[in-house]
Amino acid sequence: MKHGLSYRLIFLTVLAGTTSCTSLNITNYYHKHRYTLDGMEQVYQKAYQARHFSIEFTDRAFDHVSLEFDTDTLTYIYEFAVGERRMQDTIVKYGYDTAAINNLITNMQSMECTWINNLDYYANETRHSLIYISLWPKAFNLPFVNKKYYILTYFSQPQYFDAEGNLMTGRRLRRIRKINGETFRKINAKVCYTISAQFR
Amino acid sequence: MTPAPRTSLLLLTLSLCLLLLAARGMAADTPASSPQQALDYLLKTKLPDSSVWWPNIKSSLFTANLRANLLAPLAMYQGTNTNFCGYAALSYLALHDDPLAYVRFMLALYTDGQATWGATHFNPSPAIHTAAGTLRLKGILDIRPADQLWFLCLADHFKGYLNFFFPRFHPGSEDTFWAAVNYGKFNRIIHELFGYNVRAKGSDLIRPHIPDLFDYLSDCLHTGLTYLYVNNTYLHKKNHNKFKGSFPTHFIVLDAIRKIPDQPDRIDIVYWDYGGRTLRQVSLRFLKKITFGVTVCTKEPAPPTP
Repeated sequence: MKHGLSYRLIFLTVLAGTTSCTSLNITNYYHKHRYTLDGMEQVYQKAYQARHFSIEFTDRAFDHVSLEFDTDTLTYIYEFAVGERRMQDTIVKYGYDTAAINNLITNMQSMECTWINNLDYYANETRHSLIYISLWPKAFNLPFVNKKYYILTYFSQPQYFDAEGNLMTGRRLRRIRKINGETFRKINAKVCYTISAQFR
Repeated sequence: MTPAPRTSLLLLTLSLCLLLLAARGMAADTPASSPQQALDYLLKTKLPDSSVWWPNIKSSLFTANLRANLLAPLAMYQGTNTNFCGYAALSYLALHDDPLAYVRFMLALYTDGQATWGATHFNPSPAIHTAAGTLRLKGILDIRPADQLWFLCLADHFKGYLNFFFPRFHPGSEDTFWAAVNYGKFNRIIHELFGYNVRAKGSDLIRPHIPDLFDYLSDCLHTGLTYLYVNNTYLHKKNHNKFKGSFPTHFIVLDAIRKIPDQPDRIDIVYWDYGGRTLRQVSLRFLKKITFGVTVCTKEPAPPTP
């Protein structure tokens, strides 16, 4: 009886530890994988400037990928199994950089990154853009619990933060900036994070 | 050999009937006005620098927004994380069919604080007058004051059962049920505001029984402008949760549907939403699963000239 209670306590402690560590480790996670994550951002930025697109992994095993190609008239959305011949043909057909997209897909798989995209936001009636990377590490995939995603945003210029590290709208207008309805916190002057129930 | 007089009369009557039907058909397909007419009207209308009715809207940004909508009507965007998708989908009809009426209405609303479209009079509440132009952190909607005004006025005027607990606007209401559009309300607005005939199949909770969805939708596309009322948690997935709500949340304009050669269960659909057109390959099963409503809009035939 006593042993049963101890096991239950140990199980609950481990469970609590696993779930609560999500909010503690994102900065560590970024610093640990900084080289790869920053590299992904740079490859994506360069490829995006040539032609607009986004990449999404649609399953937990990171075996299926959805590519969105944005053209002037249409956005094309195709889903493929990773490595499928049809995928390479499609990338070539729409004139995208095959090497860059394949590199991103490989790194996204290794980083358990579920989405990479470019988002526009507006400050003082001027359009700016940022790169939005959603991570879905397996450690936080508990059954029957809604999924949580690490979101990293890469800005092209240094941002303003309050004393608690919350992302602000500007130096003069001291208002918390929300992106996709989420409040972001500082990792460094240009990179922010949040934990979200949605990957986009 | 000349036809008998009775036969000639019959042929003449038949030809006249066919001509009349053709004229009616043309009237149903032809837009009521052109973007150029609307642009000309916008250009010749002088607006004050600011409006007492809309203290947070600069006229320069307002007219720039209207101009952008006329030049690129497909780019109208409801804003990030708002519930204005129903109203954005309705705008597709207004901007494509009668851009001149749209611009006239918007300019009257800006100048007088109230305006009439068809038989519907809009007299927005004071909260709307103050809020228009202040919505922020919504993507491009931040710099689109005319779109903010348009969406807010529509949501303020038309009410449905979803507004039972959200009858009035408060800051942030654009993200709540206050701004949402249920299926009945959506169809009612198309009929009341734009005068279209609406053929609707579906509901807010139960999917319509359509045995051959591909054939049905193909037929709808030949008949008129076709809206689909869909479950967006599948179409525009935002998480990987296994348990998703099984109800519709989003309106899209269906533009084309076609079968993919050598893949009998998969189709290409082209649709408009979120300020752009998308081509996507889906299975028929998936499309059936997400479709809760199909609305076909046709113009009221013009009355025959006496």
